[in-house]
Amino acid sequence: MKRAWHIAGKEILQNRRDPLALLFTIVLPVIFTVFLGLLIPSGDEGDTRLPLAVVDEDGTRASQELIDGLADIPLLELKTSSAAAIDSAVQDQKVAAGLIIPDGFGEAAEAGRPVALTFIRVETSSGAQSVWEAVEGALSRSNAATLAAEVAAEQVSAETGRPLDQGLLRSALSIAESHLAAPAIGIEVIDAGDSPVARSGGFQQSSTGALVNWVLFGLLGVCSTVVWERKNGLLSRLSAAGVRSSEILGGKTLAMVALTFAQQLLLVLLGQFAFGVDYFSSPLALLFIMISLSLLATAFGLLIASVLRSEQAVVAATVVTALLLAALGGAWFPLEVTSAGFSKIAHVLPSAWIMDAFHGITLKGWGVADILKPIGIVWIWIVAVASVALWRFRPE
Amino acid sequence: MDAIVVEGLRKQFDPPKGPVAVDDVSFGIREGEIFSLLGPNGAGKTTIISILSCLLRPDAGEARVGGFSVTRESDEVKRLIGVVPQEIALYEELSGRENLLFWGRMYGLNGPALNKRVDEVLDWIGLVDRQTDRLEKYSGGMKRRVNIGAALLHNPRFLYLDEPTVGIDPQSRRSILDGVKNFNAAGVTVLYTTHYMEEAQEISDRIAIMDRGAMIAVGAQDELVRLVGERTRINLALDRNADILAERWRDLAGVSTVSEPEDGRLWVLTDDANSLMPRLFDSAQTAEARITEINLAEPNLEMVFLHLTGRALRD
Ligand SMILES: Nc1ncnc2c1ncn2[C@@H]1O[C@H](COP(=O)(O)OP(=O)(O)OP(=O)(O)O)[C@@H](O)[C@H]1O
Ligand SMILES: [Mg+2]
Repeated sequence: MKRAWHIAGKEILQNRRDPLALLFTIVLPVIFTVFLGLLIPSGDEGDTRLPLAVVDEDGTRASQELIDGLADIPLLELKTSSAAAIDSAVQDQKVAAGLIIPDGFGEAAEAGRPVALTFIRVETSSGAQSVWEAVEGALSRSNAATLAAEVAAEQVSAETGRPLDQGLLRSALSIAESHLAAPAIGIEVIDAGDSPVARSGGFQQSSTGALVNWVLFGLLGVCSTVVWERKNGLLSRLSAAGVRSSEILGGKTLAMVALTFAQQLLLVLLGQFAFGVDYFSSPLALLFIMISLSLLATAFGLLIASVLRSEQAVVAATVVTALLLAALGGAWFPLEVTSAGFSKIAHVLPSAWIMDAFHGITLKGWGVADILKPIGIVWIWIVAVASVALWRFRPE
Repeated sequence: MDAIVVEGLRKQFDPPKGPVAVDDVSFGIREGEIFSLLGPNGAGKTTIISILSCLLRPDAGEARVGGFSVTRESDEVKRLIGVVPQEIALYEELSGRENLLFWGRMYGLNGPALNKRVDEVLDWIGLVDRQTDRLEKYSGGMKRRVNIGAALLHNPRFLYLDEPTVGIDPQSRRSILDGVKNFNAAGVTVLYTTHYMEEAQEISDRIAIMDRGAMIAVGAQDELVRLVGERTRINLALDRNADILAERWRDLAGVSTVSEPEDGRLWVLTDDANSLMPRLFDSAQTAEARITEINLAEPNLEMVFLHLTGRALRD
């Protein structure tokens, strides 16, 4: 079995000298991680507030109170703007909507006169709709407080003979506002946690997806070296030198596992530190998954190279196999967004279980016990595929 | 007793319709000799080498190498042989030295012994200066030499070389042929295949001529040449109409064989050169052609091949 080690060493040396190897093992996976990460909507805690541009032409205490009220709404992110800039800011969708508080707003409010605010939006924008509802809510709360204060002040004045002046109105308003702040009927909003669909978007999905995808495409590499070596008489030469098929396959497997493991490790570290994916809830479980994935890709590569002879057939078979395993296994898009039926069928493929295990690690903090089932299923595949490969392998 | 014995060997690819690559071939190779298989493309030379390397199983017959059966004792056989395949079976991304180190390890060598042996082999194949260059930077001839070197690392008792000089410059060919003679002088028994008659003639102790899977003659060179009989070869060059004349000369009395003309050159095999030559000049004149060159020589293996098969060796 010493020869297997030497064959592996030779393969790794060849790979290190292959200028294309770096492109396929690292560069493309990273590009895909970034690209898909930005493409797939993320459910992360990132800033999801809707920006609302506000122009305060009034500048009174009343207008400031309204602004403060709006600022308290969690959905909204207020941005001060100017009358000149607000239209284009809305049109260019730099903000979801705009609100202009006109000059005389405070005076009119104090005098109880009706006053019109200007709300600017792009009609088709759903964000603007949400903003409008939030603003309307704030205004009606403020209207309700004013109304309540006026009614109360009038009542006090009528019963006590105290004149209905600004002082009385103001103190009634402040009592009404403080009561509204703690209403009789309240709704408590509980954060029920993010749905799994939302959570496996963004880099959570693209980092693991790109990793699985590009390791699977590595089976192309194993396959093409076997085909090349067979065509150029190297396998025959090894056999004439007394090297056994099991040693040839063993050496290639060792090399492939080492190379794809190093590739995975780089991508995992990149995902962890550059894209904020949490890979290290259980390093041991992660290790099992990574090695299983490497072996899985190798086994498929060797199977194809053992069963098929012609170069074209081998190239076609490797591309189709890698594509099917990666795409249907959920490396390109999360299987949670597909129908339950599709997801069930996809779980015939070992790659779907690998993705499950990775998501378990990155999203749910799985440990070794949790990955036993998915990785067990993957190992059934590995053993089956590798056995057929060894059985069918011929050097010449 | 012969060191390599081949008896009634037969191999058909993709039966029942495929080509019969080797058809009832028998021969023996003596310890310490250079034995050549000479034959055109498709004669079955590589197939025989593959069977003797335990890479292919014969359909019928038996072969023994150093007393071991190639089918039943392949491990023992593989330990005795060094095989230089027809194609260059090496790793382009590795240097000449790294290739030799790798193949040495495959033969079970390692440590200082391996390094020492690789140094020796590099010296023999004349690549000490270029040993750290990657193979992809080597010329065809240099690769051919590494291809041979990789088969010598484990000091094999038998060395098989399958057309080791194909497609290389005369200088590299010279050094390969000299190398083979040296290894042989050092005690290695050589099985050599070629479709170059001159090579077979130069290096072989004995030659087997093969055609279309069959062995048509075996023996030392002078034995083979005697198969043609007591004949003389007349080499000629014509300024024109060589094809027409070759056709006519085949019908002349006293002519046993006429070769296919090549660039106006051809040869005629006869048992009476003296009486034939004036008639050749006459018929050239009637065809308005001039004989620009003429000389007499002994027959060679090419003539043996033509005599036995009715076809030229290189077609
Ligand atoms: N793997 C194979 N499958 C099918 N036919 C084969 C195979 N290898 C060789 N043949 C056929 O067997 C015959 C003998 O081939 P072989 O390679 O032994 O000839 P050769 O004497 O080595 O020729 P060359 O000088 O071209 O190398 C040829 O007709 C060839 O087409
Ligand atoms: Mg050949």
